[in-house]
Amino acid sequence: MSRNVCVSCLDPRLSRRGFLKGCAMAAAALGLSDSMVPRMVEAASSPARPPVVWLHFQECTGCTESLLRASHPDIGRLILDLISLDYHETVMAAAGKQAEEVLHETVSKHAGKFICVVEGGIPTKDGGVYCKIAGRTALEILKEVAPQSAAVIAIGTCATFGGIQAAYPNPTGAVGVRDLVHDRPVVNISGCPPNPISFLGTVLHYLTFNRFPELDGLGRPLFAYGRRNHDQCERRAHFDEGRYVEQFGDSGHLKGYCLYKVGCKGPGTFANCPAVRFNDVDVWPVSAGHGCVGCTEPGFWDTMTPFYERLPGVRIPGDEGIITKAEDVGLKVLGVAAAAVGIHAAVGAGKRLVAGKKQEKADQKE
Amino acid sequence: MLYERKTAWGFLFRLYHWSFALSILALAVTGFYIHDPWISTANEGSGSFPMADWRYCHFIAGYVFTAAVLVRLYLLVFGNREESFLGFAPVTGRNIKNVFTTLAYYLYLTDRGGHRLGHNALAGTFYLFTLLFAVLQMISGFSLLYPESGFWQTVAGKIFGVQQEIRFYHFVFMWYFMIFALVHVYIVVWNDVWSPEGLISSIFTGDKFLPKGQEGAGKRA
Ligand code: HEM
Ligand code: SF4
Repeated sequence: MSRNVCVSCLDPRLSRRGFLKGCAMAAAALGLSDSMVPRMVEAASSPARPPVVWLHFQECTGCTESLLRASHPDIGRLILDLISLDYHETVMAAAGKQAEEVLHETVSKHAGKFICVVEGGIPTKDGGVYCKIAGRTALEILKEVAPQSAAVIAIGTCATFGGIQAAYPNPTGAVGVRDLVHDRPVVNISGCPPNPISFLGTVLHYLTFNRFPELDGLGRPLFAYGRRNHDQCERRAHFDEGRYVEQFGDSGHLKGYCLYKVGCKGPGTFANCPAVRFNDVDVWPVSAGHGCVGCTEPGFWDTMTPFYERLPGVRIPGDEGIITKAEDVGLKVLGVAAAAVGIHAAVGAGKRLVAGKKQEKADQKE
Repeated sequence: MLYERKTAWGFLFRLYHWSFALSILALAVTGFYIHDPWISTANEGSGSFPMADWRYCHFIAGYVFTAAVLVRLYLLVFGNREESFLGFAPVTGRNIKNVFTTLAYYLYLTDRGGHRLGHNALAGTFYLFTLLFAVLQMISGFSLLYPESGFWQTVAGKIFGVQQEIRFYHFVFMWYFMIFALVHVYIVVWNDVWSPEGLISSIFTGDKFLPKGQEGAGKRA
């Protein structure tokens, strides 16, 4: 099976212009100088494309959708052109038994050479029964495929950190690839969905330099996840000047003020959204008037919710699942402390009074 | 009773105390603004820069706070007898006993306090907690300040988690410091009322007044 399994719906021909443009965009996202572009182009046009096996587990396929349905099709095409997508359930023609054979064939034929892309979280509870494909659990499939690959790319927040199904109380025990695969290099392209350019840049870097780009502590490439959205945001001037949207739809919102007070999580989120943007029409949530929800961060369903509050009621460890607003608790504790102080002082004053009376009596006796 | 003037706190210790206290005051006020910006600048082009200014003050105060914390850590080891760890930490028999004597004294159960030239061991225990929280607050603060530094992200990541969680704990710890300040000031004033050792003035002058001949045996006045 060749890469042609995939794209009957897309015009598979990529113009030279589109190809160069895609490479240049990826190089820019990677922060490489334009003198590197020819090297990249050369690597990208090499006929020996790395075979790719694309596994789908607990997910919504939104990552694939955003990758392939980019309104500007060059990126999607370029990706499909760069790699030999031998197994991808969403876009391959084969189905059922045939598809399983393709998977098996690719893995054994290209053992140690193919790239394994994982989309979706992996449930681990109860032997992983919560996600099964062709009668096998996601856990089994990953444990079989990943060790035979050259490297693993986890795409999307589900595959990187467990995603929505790992949100508290994580009923299926969902985890990300890095929690399970330790003997292969794993690159995390997090986001819900991630930017196709970040994926493309990672693949191109791998093809050009034969290694992955530099990663952060969470396994994400620094070129895409090295900076906070807040530090690249077009509304940052409003933040610094203290101009905030107080409520959605108010005059500040109409004027495009900073969304900090209505819960923007840009200050806690590492991503390249404001720089690279989405859908080739230059948008990202904040440009459309909605705060960042922090989708590239681990556990964002727990730590970034409620999405419309500044500092959300993050569960305090040990506080059995109760979502408390720290401010409420703080005020109460402060109140209790003040009351305790008051009572203590009153007892002291009372004691002094009594002692004084006794002293008086003693004095009178004398 | 005859009282004797004795030196408890060195100059560096007093410098630490006041930079610590004043920086916390500044950090809590500016931190509150960062948490919930209450100033409204409805007009553009008015030349004001409130969030940047508040943050600037917060960071300056943060550095003062950090310097104070480092000085205190240094004094734990190299300070005089009253300032150093063994002087008040509840790790020696003498200090553990003092924790309970002081507790009984504070609860009006006895008239004999656990007075001594330095901290009583109950206070000392809480000061150690405060120092621990101060170190944690410093770590969380610097990892918010330098989000792109691998060092701070690794250290704070291990302790707190991602940036948003770091912010959350940073905010929660603020309440510890505010509650500590409230209780601390009350107890200090209370002590000054109940025993004539000159506790409050000692943090300005460094000197306390103790009954002649008996170190730390003050009786309730
Ligand atoms: C007693 C000590 C401190 C208190 C009470 C305090 C309080 C606060 C509070 C309440 C916030 C707002 C959190 C939020 O709502 O998101 C904050 C933010 C912050 N603090 Fe502190 N802080 C303290 C020490 C420090 C130190 C030592 C540093 C290090 C220089 C620091 C650096 C920061 C930074 C960088 C932010 C985030 C500002 C931003 O992203 O706009 N803080 N602090
Ligand atoms: S909109 Fe969000 S990311 Fe942009 S400056 Fe405001 S808080 Fe930061």
